[in-house]
Amino acid sequence: MTQTIERPEVEQETRTALRPDLPWQTIVWDDPVNLMTYVSYVFRTHFGFTPDEAERRMLLVHHEGRAVVASGPRESMEAHVEAMHGYGLQATVQRSSG
Amino acid sequence: MIVASRPGAEGVRLVLESEEAMLLAELADQVDSVLLLGTPDDPAVGRLLPNAYPDDAEAEAEYSRYTRGGLRDGKRQAAQIVRDATRNEQGHPTIEVVLDEVEAWSWLTFLTDLRLILSERVGLGENGEPEDDDERDDYLRAAYEWAGFVQGSMLEVLDPMEA
Repeated sequence: MTQTIERPEVEQETRTALRPDLPWQTIVWDDPVNLMTYVSYVFRTHFGFTPDEAERRMLLVHHEGRAVVASGPRESMEAHVEAMHGYGLQATVQRSSG
Repeated sequence: MIVASRPGAEGVRLVLESEEAMLLAELADQVDSVLLLGTPDDPAVGRLLPNAYPDDAEAEAEYSRYTRGGLRDGKRQAAQIVRDATRNEQGHPTIEVVLDEVEAWSWLTFLTDLRLILSERVGLGENGEPEDDDERDDYLRAAYEWAGFVQGSMLEVLDPMEA
């Protein structure tokens, strides 16, 4: 279980590292208040993720405490974080470590 | 309460008993008040309008300056939509609310904001369990659980893949 959860993080970091033009990330943090089904539905609606992808990122948030949901220019990440705050999710902007 | 699909259309149909409608209208009014009157030192306000840059006070100040007003307005509007839809001045035994997928978001986000506020008021910790029995407030806790039940039921209709 741990393996299948960790693998996507690695892929995400590799992708980010190969894109020096995309140095910022949107992080969604776990929050015991929000329903898992709600978080999935927000991801699908806002980011246009497939149901499987939305579920995968939601589970990352749930099990790992956080997940990267977008990478790109700082202004775009702030717009995503603002949208997540509008939905009632805990989200932050950070510089990617890659 | 009945939470059902809309025949032949996307969205959700809610049928509320008059007591449920009254409770929702009252809670929506309280959420609106927290958003209107809540000061930054109220932890519930911190849950509704979180920090985007926990490690960078300057960036956070700028983010707040540009987004806080709009976020507050959007959340107040959602609470007001729920309050207006559940107002029952004629004293009907039930209230029916029909929402398309877009309209349903006002309800989903309101229910989330309500639960965020209630979680602060009753002192819920990790896993949503009470942190301290002394802090337990049965009314707030029941409202917290009920709001989660309503939201979960709506999501089962709106997003059946998740059910």
